[in-house]
Amino acid sequence: MTDKSPASGHRRPQAFRLDDPDVVVAEDGRPAPRGAIVVTPSLAVPEAEETPPLPAPPPSASRWTTLFWSGLGGLVSLGLGLAVSKLIEDLFARADWLGYTGLAFAALFVVGALAILGRELFGLMRLRTLNALREQAAEAIAKDDRKQAEAVTRELMALAKTSPRLFRARTELAGHLDAIIDGADLVRLTERHLMAPLDSEATRLVSDAAKRVSVVTAVSPRAAVDLIFVLLTAVSLVRRLALLYGGRPGALGMFRLFRQVIAHLAVTGGMAAGDSLLQQLVGHGIAAKLSARLGEGVVNGLLTARLGLAAIEVTRPLPFAALPAPALSDVASGLIARKDSEKDEPKQG
Amino acid sequence: MPSWYESLVEEARLAALTLLDRAEELANPTLRLGITGLSRAGKTVFTTALVHALMRGERMPVFRAMHEGRIARASLEPQPDDAVPRFDYEGHLATLVDERRWPESTRRISELRLVVDYAPARGGKRSLTLDILDYPGEWLLDLPLLGQSYADFAAQSLNLARAPARAPLAAPFLAALAATAPEVPADEAQARQLAALFTDYLAACRAEAVSMSLLPPGRFLMPGDLEGSPALTFAPIDLSPGAEAPPGSLHAMMARRFEAYKERVVRPFFRDHFARLDRQIVLIDVLAALNAGPAALADLEAALDGILAAFRIGRDSWLGALFRHRIDKVLFAATKADHLHHASHDRLEAILRRLVERALARAESTGTEIDVVALAAVRATREASVKRGRTTMPAIIGVPEAGQHGADAFDGLAEAAVFPGDLPDNPAALFDPTLGFRGLSDAEGGDFRFLRFRPPLVMRNAEGVPLALPHIRLDRALDFLLGDRLR
Repeated sequence: MTDKSPASGHRRPQAFRLDDPDVVVAEDGRPAPRGAIVVTPSLAVPEAEETPPLPAPPPSASRWTTLFWSGLGGLVSLGLGLAVSKLIEDLFARADWLGYTGLAFAALFVVGALAILGRELFGLMRLRTLNALREQAAEAIAKDDRKQAEAVTRELMALAKTSPRLFRARTELAGHLDAIIDGADLVRLTERHLMAPLDSEATRLVSDAAKRVSVVTAVSPRAAVDLIFVLLTAVSLVRRLALLYGGRPGALGMFRLFRQVIAHLAVTGGMAAGDSLLQQLVGHGIAAKLSARLGEGVVNGLLTARLGLAAIEVTRPLPFAALPAPALSDVASGLIARKDSEKDEPKQG
Repeated sequence: MPSWYESLVEEARLAALTLLDRAEELANPTLRLGITGLSRAGKTVFTTALVHALMRGERMPVFRAMHEGRIARASLEPQPDDAVPRFDYEGHLATLVDERRWPESTRRISELRLVVDYAPARGGKRSLTLDILDYPGEWLLDLPLLGQSYADFAAQSLNLARAPARAPLAAPFLAALAATAPEVPADEAQARQLAALFTDYLAACRAEAVSMSLLPPGRFLMPGDLEGSPALTFAPIDLSPGAEAPPGSLHAMMARRFEAYKERVVRPFFRDHFARLDRQIVLIDVLAALNAGPAALADLEAALDGILAAFRIGRDSWLGALFRHRIDKVLFAATKADHLHHASHDRLEAILRRLVERALARAESTGTEIDVVALAAVRATREASVKRGRTTMPAIIGVPEAGQHGADAFDGLAEAAVFPGDLPDNPAALFDPTLGFRGLSDAEGGDFRFLRFRPPLVMRNAEGVPLALPHIRLDRALDFLLGDRLR
């Protein structure tokens, strides 16, 4: 209407009145005639902005390890197959009906194994999605990238769909998605909305587990009993945390998750030890003076709490950016009462 | 009076005022927020939207304290300074909502006090008193005058007037100046004529096609109740370097009036208002400068430099903090971001960052927090994409104000989709004199055309209170300016 110069390379400013006969507004649903100017009102970003590609991450496992495991796996499954077919042949040799029964059992076994395999693979994929999501969120915050942040938020909302207690938070968040909010702010907003209720629940889970472990250790008659109990609690804690934050870990998933938790613990353990070493020593010292078993209980409880914190960091699909990460004093409140009472005191001024 | 003695007295006064403020603050935590910007940057709209947002408390997801539900309410209270006009919040809001017109621009200083009842994050109940001070950014450009003599001022402003971009506008004033000499006897009629021509020239520099920013002295364009007083009846005249003013000459009269302007106008503003601010937001209409062309952009940069020099930014020692106010957070905001598609907001921010580069560097060493943001206090447009032939353009839809873009193009009623031009990826391209870009005054038309839009349609609820105004990143600005005091 104003400037008829062809838009080539450098685009000149232009304005179109919506009531101009040459202009078609797409939301009316009318088909656009040839040569018309089509206006599509939207909130979506019309064209992709190019961002510099990130360097590819290093391969996670070495090729030799992969070779080793595939070889071993192949051999074992071949051996298993051979053993089963031999067994069934033997059964047929003895009596026909025994052979058919064996065949039926083998079929059941295969179907069950396939189903379990599928579930495991799904769990692993879910785990990978969550890990990727966390990395993406951290990147979106660092680059303040709106589009990436929106993708993270949408994916998280899809993950949270099954959780009824997040319904309200999800609806509110969906309302904010249309507003113009910067990338980093959007990720933080998502975290405050979706993660806050889960975080408090996770803190409670870890705290309960730590308390249970310390009590059982203190009263258990044999070292073997509390060893098993600690292990079982740890496994179930990690599993429940993963479920809480949207993961569906199977056996393989749990194995991988545990490996991540231990690795995380090894990295952060040293740093975390610094802030509360004194409390631990003092707590342990006094408890140990009272009774050796009580001291052991405190130590085991603290260990579980540590493990739980590491598991939260590993299973949570967003990094701690807007909300504070739970500290040892938050989950070990039952064990270190002194520090807890200090913290709850309101600070004036 | 020797100047060191003068400045000592001034510092002592400031220290006393600050001590008083601190004593009051102990009983009643107070934050003085300054809102400024060169004219037409959108100060009034921003202030209105800010107060409305705090009182309504909706659509502010990024403003944490509000979003976490820790702000119970914000209410208007009588302001502390009896001599300062009140900011007419209700009137401006009614203009915006009922008439769908932008409110009258800021012509003088005004103040509003809001009391915010909030709960700190760790629980409890507190209230924060927020004193909002809205004043024209042109007054900030006067602050450097405090350190100048009349001869410095005259030389500087005549240099500016003779620059190529301004010389045509200043022609009548320069002609009148050529017809006189500093030594002629003082004559009131002549002084008034010169001052009137000088004021006309400054006003002409503000026209949309030119959009100059660096126009001291600020009160010439916004005289308020000082209009016609001798303190505003002076003009720069040509002086030979080091010339003494003969008693009774035009030179002596102009110099005396310039001193009076400094003493009666500039210094009281600095002492009573500006030096007592805690937080500051500077609104900048970058888009108007882009509309007008490279000369306007360079002028905006120079004006911002002048404004930045005025800030006593930086955290001091605790003893210093007791006696001396320091602005500890400054936000530079490119307003009217709704005139652009949001894909270009980052580029607008980059241009703004480039404009305030020097302030950012200085602030880094003093520990002041400075941020830049592209915002729209009231969002008047929605977004769209326009497909014309094979090209698709990111555009915005709104109702352009009548009387722009030629005589009959817009009637102020019909909606239009506007593609305002592509901002460059690299802001340096705009500032490079060899690349340059074309402004509105260029024969072929400008590279950018940012239209003015009418305010959006805002509903009122059952009690007749307007609902929340749509905005872009107003919540982020509030979080930066107030967030840490509401923790």
